[in-house]
Amino acid sequence: MADPELKSKIEELIAANPVLLFMKGTPDMPRCGFSMRVVQVLDQVDVDYGAIDVLPALQPLREVTAEIADWQTFPQLYVNGELLGGCDIVEEMFESGELAEALGVEQPANAEVPQATQQSAPQQSPPLQIE
Amino acid sequence: MPADLTELKGMIEAALPGAAVEVIDETGTGDHLRATVTAPQFDGLSRIDQHRLVKAAVKERFDDGTIHALSVKTSVPS
Repeated sequence: MADPELKSKIEELIAANPVLLFMKGTPDMPRCGFSMRVVQVLDQVDVDYGAIDVLPALQPLREVTAEIADWQTFPQLYVNGELLGGCDIVEEMFESGELAEALGVEQPANAEVPQATQQSAPQQSPPLQIE
Repeated sequence: MPADLTELKGMIEAALPGAAVEVIDETGTGDHLRATVTAPQFDGLSRIDQHRLVKAAVKERFDDGTIHALSVKTSVPS
């Protein structure tokens, strides 16, 4: 069961911030790849947003958001009081232009999702062809 | 305990009968999993609701700490 005081505080923050990001770390120093990717997307869209570092109270905050939005993983982006989603959804909506629309801003010219961590896995050499 | 990809796939298939499900380990180190799910049940649902269905299917593995994060990609069968 979520801590009622914490839940109340979080509900207030969600209501008070048109764009609110729950992330691991801070926008200047994200501490998780997914959180970093959402920050990068928000930077490209160039919108003001509030950011909450969930690391100091991770489990309690998971319980709160589970109750508020039926969602327990971070990052979480709330727009006008509603949970938009995590990294996957934010990136998809960014590419399609839906995110800019939801934020009430213009879609940036080169809306590109940075192909960062996914491509950094070691490349395996292709299997030998036995003719 | 590393996540069992086959089990996760089974859990999603059980929750979404008729869905095409793929669960892969993106980096080979067990902590970047990706589930790609195409399901008729997603028709008409917002992305977040589609993702909620997938996450709910594997909730047990989140709760017991086997997985901490799961990338989800959903679509409706064309």
